[in-house]
This record gives sequence, structure tokens and C-alpha cells, in this order.
Amino acid sequence: MKWAMIFGITILTALILWYELPKINQNQKKDKYVLIALSAMSWVLAVLLLFFPNMPGPTELVDQIYKPLGKLLE
Amino acid sequence: MIEKGKISAAQMALMMHPTIIATGILFVPSISAAKAGRDMWLSPIWGSFIGFLVVFIAYQLHKHFPNETIIEYSEHIVGRIPGKVIGLIYLLFYLHVNGIIIREYGEFLSGVFLMTTPESVIFGSMTLVCAFAVRGGLEVIARSAQLFIPIVVLLFLLIVFFLALDLAPTNMLPVFEEGITPSILGAAAPAAWFSEFLLIAFLLPYLTDKEKGLKWANLSVLSVVFILVITNVTALFLFGEITADLLYPVMSAGRYVRVAEFFTHLESIIMAIWILGTFIKISVFYYALVLGTAQWLKLSEYKFIVLPLGFLLVLFATWSAPNLTELKGFLGTSAVFYLLSVQLVLPSILLLIVVIQKKVIQKRSIQA
Repeated sequence: MKWAMIFGITILTALILWYELPKINQNQKKDKYVLIALSAMSWVLAVLLLFFPNMPGPTELVDQIYKPLGKLLE
Repeated sequence: MIEKGKISAAQMALMMHPTIIATGILFVPSISAAKAGRDMWLSPIWGSFIGFLVVFIAYQLHKHFPNETIIEYSEHIVGRIPGKVIGLIYLLFYLHVNGIIIREYGEFLSGVFLMTTPESVIFGSMTLVCAFAVRGGLEVIARSAQLFIPIVVLLFLLIVFFLALDLAPTNMLPVFEEGITPSILGAAAPAAWFSEFLLIAFLLPYLTDKEKGLKWANLSVLSVVFILVITNVTALFLFGEITADLLYPVMSAGRYVRVAEFFTHLESIIMAIWILGTFIKISVFYYALVLGTAQWLKLSEYKFIVLPLGFLLVLFATWSAPNLTELKGFLGTSAVFYLLSVQLVLPSILLLIVVIQKKVIQKRSIQA
């Protein structure tokens, strides 16, 4: 089941790249790298979330930082 | 400039209105009621001071750098590397907050109407629609706001009108039983929502009538106060102090409507208000994220990063909280300080540095 999901995520990422890459001006190397890097980041995060759905996320991080202040409003 | 579209100041005000109230009318009444009790109707008015303050700060910064967004001028104010760090803070902040907004939308829709639909489908479909709007550019978002927001406000006032017979104004008595402290504590959540007005820092450079920017931004804050006070007053008059225990007071109010045995169960209208409003809200945040990323990396245009960032947003929506109860707890406590420190404290520091720099330069030129 999870392997099928990984396959789906890969298809989705590939579709985005297949749609966007040809539209970028050939001279804009940086744009191309940014697009590929962002897609790779999404792919990695999606696969990580698939295997570890309870991975501590940004909300936990922010909650840790602001907990002393947040207690004032509890 | 990356963005070639132009909008009017009135369109900006129409875009900012649902950006605050869309999630504001659903979550804020019960968060405020938990702290303020019977004085919850006053909380949005206290919170609005933060809104006016943020608008003032954003406008002052805009006056110093008329053609730049906050991502660009933070580099000019504090130098290249610290400016990039501040820019990254804003980008991660908008990515995270927009993830939370999409999550709120998904939780509400799946909790009330689409109970068996997988959440990823709800997140994904909404993000895709918003991606089309953002790809279309600033003008497309502004036009859709212009089209939808009058409908949203009219429908909302219609619901309140239908409820008028069931309202019990005595629920608000006694006023200020424990002084004004509870109402100020209850203002924490509305204040955090009002600080989202910092988003005008991304819209001000693209106005056609810049001199009216401040006026319309303040009018937008006023309209938000008006709607939030009406929401809180209706919830209070209808449910009294149990508002704090309701997850979505406005939704419960919509179920309560019963006029002439014909207009009953108007929750689908609430749903329509909510979806139209959230569409604009997510689009505006999404636009700020996409434009900010393009400016931060100095790209030649922003359209091609819309879809990859949308994918990331859906992932952040699933990642942002384990369940709704924890999300609501976070929104009522730590998130208040999180939103305020990024959207109020950080820009005030930037403004302070600009003002001091200008003073120093003036002094030097006088001495020379």
C-alpha cells in the first residue's frame, strides 16, 4: 500500500516537473534549479510523512519556543 | 518588478477583509469566550488596536521603500545576510501559517459535511483551485475577491437578521462583572488574527492609487471589527456563556435559524460563506508566499513555483497538527505570541532601524 502511495507521490511530482520545466526560459538556469529543488523537497517530505506520520513538525517547534508565554493564556 | 499586475486600494481592502474574517468568525468567538465570558463582544475592539498598529507600521515601511515588498526591503534595512534571514523567517512563517489555514478548512469541512472524504483530497482540491488563482496573478485574486466578498458579507448579515428574533440581549448582563481584564485577555486571539494585516506589505507596492492605501487599509480593519463584533454579539446573545464549549459557534447558530418554517437549517449558507472566504484567504497567503519566495531567490518570474509550493502547503497542512483539539489549543495559546512576534514585533524593529538610520544620515549631512 505504502509503495503504491510512493508511486503516486512520484507521479504527482513528475507531472508538476513535466508541466513546468519546458515553460522556463532555457537561459534561466537558476529558475530550473529552484523548481527541481522545491519538487525534490516536497517529494522527500511527502515520503517521510508517509512513513512517520507523527514526526514532530513546525507546530511542535513553535510551541516549544513560545510555551513560557503561551502559559499566560491557558 | 516580478509582479506586473496593478490593483486599486479598494480592491486591496476587499482582499484583506476575508483574509482576517474567514477563519476569524469560526474559531475566534469560542477562543475569546473561553477567556472573556460575557464580555467577549468587546474583545475584537481591543484586538483591532493591533490591526491599526500593524497597518501603520506596514504603511510607514512602505513610504520609505515605495516599490518593494517586505522581503526586499528587509535586505536594504539590515544588510544582505541578516535581511536574507528575516526573509526566510517570513517565508517559513507563511508556509506554516498557510498550512494551518488549509488544515482548519479541511477539519471544518470533514467534521461538518464531508465526513468520509479523506482529508488529503479536501486539502488538495482547495490548494489546486487557489493555485490557479495565484498563477493568474494579483489581479485575478483581486477580481475574485471583488466578486465574492459582497456576497459573503450579505449572506452573513442575512443569517444574523434571521436570528434576530431568537437573540436574548440579557445574556450580556452583568457587563464587566470582573472589570475589563477578562475582555482584554479574550482579545489575545483576535489581536493575533488582526496582525495578519501585515500582508498589505506584499500588496502596497502594486497599488495604482498609493495615496489612498492607508485610508482603505484602515477601512478594511474597521470592516473586520464590525463583522467580528456582530459575530461575537450574536453568539453571546444566542448561546450565552456556553459559546466557549462550542467548536464552531457560527455553524451552530446557522443550524438554529427557523423563520416561518421555511428558512431552516441554513448551515449550507454558512458553508458557502466559509468556502468563498477561505478561498480568498488561502490565495492571499499563498500569493505572499510565492511572490516572497521568487523575490528572496531573485527569480525572473514566480509562476513556475506555484505548483511545487502548493504541494508543500498540502504537506504542511497534514504535518501542522496531529488533531483538531491540539490545533485549537495551539491557536489559543502559543500561536498568539508566534503570530504577534513575527507580524508585529519584527516589522516594528525594522521600522525603528529605518527611522534611526535616517536620523543619523540627516545629522551627518548637517555636520558636513
